[in-house]
Amino acid sequence: MNLTVNGKPATIADENPVSITDLLEKLQVEQREYVTVELNGDILDRGDFEGATVKDGDTVEFLYFMGGGR
Amino acid sequence: MAKTESSLRFDTRLIHGGTSPGPSGATKSPIVQASAFAYDTAEELEDIFKGRAIGQVYTRIGNPTLESLEKRLAAIEGGIAAIATSSGMAAITTAVMAIVRSGDEILSSASLFGGTYSLFHDTLANYGISTRFVDPTDADALRGAVNENTRLIFVETIGNPKMDVPDLAIFSAIARENGIPLMVDATVSTPYLARVGELGADIIVHSTSKYINGTANSIGGAIIDCGSFNWQSDKFPHFDQFYRKYRNFALTARTRKLIHKDFGACAAPLNAFLNCEGLDTLSLRMERHCSNAMRVAQFLDAHEKVSWVNYPGLPDSPYFEVANRQFGGRFGGLLTFGVADKASAFRVINALSLAKNLANIGDTKTLVIHPASTICADYTPEVKALMGVGEELIRVSVGIEDIEDIIEDFAAALEQA
Ligand SMILES: Cc1ncc(COP(=O)(O)O)c(C=O)c1O
Repeated sequence: MNLTVNGKPATIADENPVSITDLLEKLQVEQREYVTVELNGDILDRGDFEGATVKDGDTVEFLYFMGGGR
Repeated sequence: MAKTESSLRFDTRLIHGGTSPGPSGATKSPIVQASAFAYDTAEELEDIFKGRAIGQVYTRIGNPTLESLEKRLAAIEGGIAAIATSSGMAAITTAVMAIVRSGDEILSSASLFGGTYSLFHDTLANYGISTRFVDPTDADALRGAVNENTRLIFVETIGNPKMDVPDLAIFSAIARENGIPLMVDATVSTPYLARVGELGADIIVHSTSKYINGTANSIGGAIIDCGSFNWQSDKFPHFDQFYRKYRNFALTARTRKLIHKDFGACAAPLNAFLNCEGLDTLSLRMERHCSNAMRVAQFLDAHEKVSWVNYPGLPDSPYFEVANRQFGGRFGGLLTFGVADKASAFRVINALSLAKNLANIGDTKTLVIHPASTICADYTPEVKALMGVGEELIRVSVGIEDIEDIIEDFAAALEQA
């Protein structure tokens, strides 16, 4: 499926919906214990990482509070 | 299977918790003495500024050496994140200003380190933030002092220099009842006596300059976010945007992205390294600080020229029961005692040869000071009374020298009392 991740096109091998937990693993997202995940503009609760899924065409943002500006 | 970090026992966590191998397998996190960090592309730096990627930018905002101290302190205290600051006062100022706004009130224990008292009483008052100071052992008075403007409760684990030991369960209950966070200065007790997050602190502040550094070679401070407070609250609308994005990291996010970045009281990399070094030996040193302090307290208590001794480890101390329960039978390295009057106190201090007369605590060396004429000299007589600072009082930070030498030093000096 094709996604937009942090503003850039990204492709993952799966065609079926993928949980956020699996997506973090597949994309080797850094410091997963701290990351905030925004799916199509909505911030997800950490508790929903297992249940929420991405499908073809979704937009995902990974955000950190440790970074530079605001 | 490798043990998870939180299952490691405290003394092991002090040494291994939050650590990761340095370059080439170095067993120390290197001192990254650099102001700024370069990236190949404009896109990378944009992503970092947007929070889409993790990376160092500028040492005021973050630095690998600071980060290693932060991770270790968070792991040791059981917090979710930590921020290293240039001093203990910087930690308190930054953490408090991240929470309160003009028009808000702080409810604080009246028994405070002088710098914190002055911050609350004078400095913050000039910015429209007022503080109610209440006897930390009077639960009814504390409860009665909360009002609709109260936004923060502040207390020291062991009041410096009053040596009182507030019951943190009471503070925590009052904070919970009112939906207000509890900030605890655990400098004097150190994580060795208690992980105060487990006792209800939502935010822990330390002057790492003291026992954590351990050898008095650098100033530093830290804010530890226990992640326990729910910032989604009508009382904290200024946290909304941070709560929405970062949930229980809202305080750390707001502090890092706003207050700490803007006030700029960052730790120096070398100081952060030296404070990390201290963590390794904290338990060993504290064990000796505690046992030596107990012996000094007992010696002074039995001395005819000493009118009183205030050490929470003495069974007749009014704070013994709470301290014993909260700190698991350990009582720290700080005590105060009284002689006849100011002149007598000065004669004793001047006659000490091993103990240094200086304004610090938590060194390996035994330290003394006459608070009334120094660190508390600006207080009015009423405040001195509230803080328990009499003219006859000497504060002792008992070091880790051979106990017989320490006692002989005090025995000889008391001849002059
Ligand atoms: C209990 C307590 N809190 C805070 C501070 C302030 O720390 P620093 O001197 O690192 O600013 C001190 C000591 O100075 C202290 O004893």
